[in-house]
Amino acid sequence: MSLQGLCKTFGTKRAVDHLDLQVRPGCMFGLVGPNGAGKTTTLSMATGLLRPDAGTAAVLGHDVWTDPAAAKALIGVLPDGVRLFDRLSGRELLRYVGLLRRVPPGDIASRSAELLEALGLTEDGNTLVVEYSAGMTKKIGLACALIHAPRLLILDEPFEAVDPVSGEGIRSILRSYVRGGGTVVLSSHVMELVESLCDDLAVVAQGRVLVSGTVEAVRAGSTLQQRFLDLVGFTAAGGEGLAWLHSSSPSS
Amino acid sequence: MVALIVTLKLTLLKNSLKRSVWRTVGLVLGMLYALGIVIVALVGLTALRFGPVDLAADVTVLVFAVLTLGWLLMSLLVFGVDETVDPAKFALLPVRARELLPGLFVSGLIGSPGVATVLVAAGLVLAWSRGWAPLLAAVVAVPIGVGSCVLLSRAGTAAFASFLSSRRFRDLAFVVLALFGAAVGIGGNLLGSVAQSGSSQLRQVLADTATVVGWTPFGWVWAVPADVARGLWWQAGVHLVLAVALVGVLWVAWGHLLAKRLIEPVEAGGGGSGRVKENALIDRLYPATPAGGVAARTLRYWRRDPRYLAGVAGLLIAPVVLVVTQLMNPGGSSVLAAFAPAVLGVLIGASIAQDLCYDGTALWLHVASGLRGADDRAGRVMSTLTIFGPVLVALLVVSMVATAEWSLLAPVVGLTIGLTLTGLGVGSFVGALWQWPAPPPGANPFQKGNSGGLPSLLSFSVASLGTTVLAVPTIAAAVGSLWYGWLGYLSVVVGLATGLLVLRIGIAQGGRVLDRRWPEVLQSVSERSA
Repeated sequence: MSLQGLCKTFGTKRAVDHLDLQVRPGCMFGLVGPNGAGKTTTLSMATGLLRPDAGTAAVLGHDVWTDPAAAKALIGVLPDGVRLFDRLSGRELLRYVGLLRRVPPGDIASRSAELLEALGLTEDGNTLVVEYSAGMTKKIGLACALIHAPRLLILDEPFEAVDPVSGEGIRSILRSYVRGGGTVVLSSHVMELVESLCDDLAVVAQGRVLVSGTVEAVRAGSTLQQRFLDLVGFTAAGGEGLAWLHSSSPSS
Repeated sequence: MVALIVTLKLTLLKNSLKRSVWRTVGLVLGMLYALGIVIVALVGLTALRFGPVDLAADVTVLVFAVLTLGWLLMSLLVFGVDETVDPAKFALLPVRARELLPGLFVSGLIGSPGVATVLVAAGLVLAWSRGWAPLLAAVVAVPIGVGSCVLLSRAGTAAFASFLSSRRFRDLAFVVLALFGAAVGIGGNLLGSVAQSGSSQLRQVLADTATVVGWTPFGWVWAVPADVARGLWWQAGVHLVLAVALVGVLWVAWGHLLAKRLIEPVEAGGGGSGRVKENALIDRLYPATPAGGVAARTLRYWRRDPRYLAGVAGLLIAPVVLVVTQLMNPGGSSVLAAFAPAVLGVLIGASIAQDLCYDGTALWLHVASGLRGADDRAGRVMSTLTIFGPVLVALLVVSMVATAEWSLLAPVVGLTIGLTLTGLGVGSFVGALWQWPAPPPGANPFQKGNSGGLPSLLSFSVASLGTTVLAVPTIAAAVGSLWYGWLGYLSVVVGLATGLLVLRIGIAQGGRVLDRRWPEVLQSVSERSA
């Protein structure tokens, strides 16, 4: 995946500001950054959900905005903060996505069953997605992103609200996917997770890439957490504020 | 608490106006419209002040009862209630329903309909300023009356919303809603037809109707000053007691529903385990293509999403009212009644135009998967035909049997086919042109869209107007068949041919529009469109 000079402005706020990013094929790529850094906006523009004001996004040589059909066929997407067609059951939703993606009906049935099994959703396959918990909704969303065997996975906060067991399941699915030649781009807030899972990463803040490279290179001897805090400019507020929150304070 | 909630409502209103041009346009149009009504009403009420007592009594009771009924009906069937201040949002705060009620009540009055109602009701005091006793009675009746208007709309929508979202009562609530709308429409039409029967009779009919209406919940409170002015003291007393009781009951009922919503916001699921049986029948009904997938998905939504059910109820009312009024009415035309299925045809087409908005942000899936716009359009047409095909046939049989106008079978069939297909084609195209954020599935289906309902009304008007214009050849042939019978058979051919043509073009062109602006469509249906 290759992003060049992406820009997006909402009203007066510049959410993404001439962002460049190269992701090499067959790599597990982490996108980290503070809240409001423009991660979701960037990923939306890379997947064809949000039209950039300027710049290009290309996937395996296909431009997402001039050749959308070819590019979108190669991408599997898990967006964050949007609805699914949640009046369908998990199984029905997978079938629906499969049909939209032109997966042969026979393959849809077998792949759905395997995906539900791998993600521990078999028992809830016939439950409406609206009744799912937040973590289960993430998992069915991931299954939807995988069903057409994409070459590139773009996942926005895939581990949010997912329990540790399912999280390990998802990690192993993603690792074997990358071993098989696939490329993953995921965004996360959790540094330890990116550190242990990803090959490469980029730190984004205020709509720009601050640093990008292999985890080793970005870390530069320190921990990723510390490097991240240095890069985005964290100033510790100290223990003085919010004293009224302490249960032992006299006012309570 | 009242001041706090009212301030909240005003702040939300101000912010939403800043964000959406549609809202500002809607608000201004609504205010102008309301202002016109208020002026006409005030002039009329002042004139009644100088007319005979009986006339003033009958007219005010009727007009204000209709106004009260209107609050309930309009919020249930047309506009929905303004949920700028959504009670469910208070679920996390340590407040009781009892404390919220007064504030929500007052904030319900803020807006063009509320202000207009208060002003018109104040005009009632003018009309009864012919003596101390009626004046006093009017002053007492106005606040109670305005209160029952607001409470009826709030409690009514809250009750139906909770019924529609519960699996057990959904179908029942749907039928009741449709019957209620139809009954009111039929009643109004019958009244109108009687009114045409001559002025001497008219006066008598007016008096009789006013008496009857005065004894319905919608007329109780408004009958109080009318009774007092005519010296009917015990009736006035009974009416007053009933009116106060009604307000009390509605207040308690609304409080109860609100309390339920604070614990369990309607948004969360539909109760029950939410398990569904695998139904391969629906999947086999359509081809295993993207369009077929869209069709199967929307068909399931027709069944599982209260918003669609409320929509069908609204659509069925017009044709049913048409059949019944024309038949019950001695001066009615059974020919008109026979054409009821064609009316439904136009409405179906116009309703498909708002299908995209109902999807909300879930539509990202269509965008991200690179679904061709034409497949999206075609799928929705398929499922709409699956739902309404049998309904149209049933309505056709009913209207034919009821009117016994069998000679009209050919033109009615022709016109129905022509208008339905043309309507679906036009709706597919119009639906691709513009979208707006609709309340999400599971939310109160009677809630106003984020843009105050104006764009949906506009889209509906454009779609139905476009359908009628494009169906002119079929309409001409069908009307002509009243004089030259053979034209009826021609209308079937013309209807089918032009309908299919418009449908094809509508799907293709609507699809092309979507392909060009999928991301923008996604933006405009998103609830938090920036």
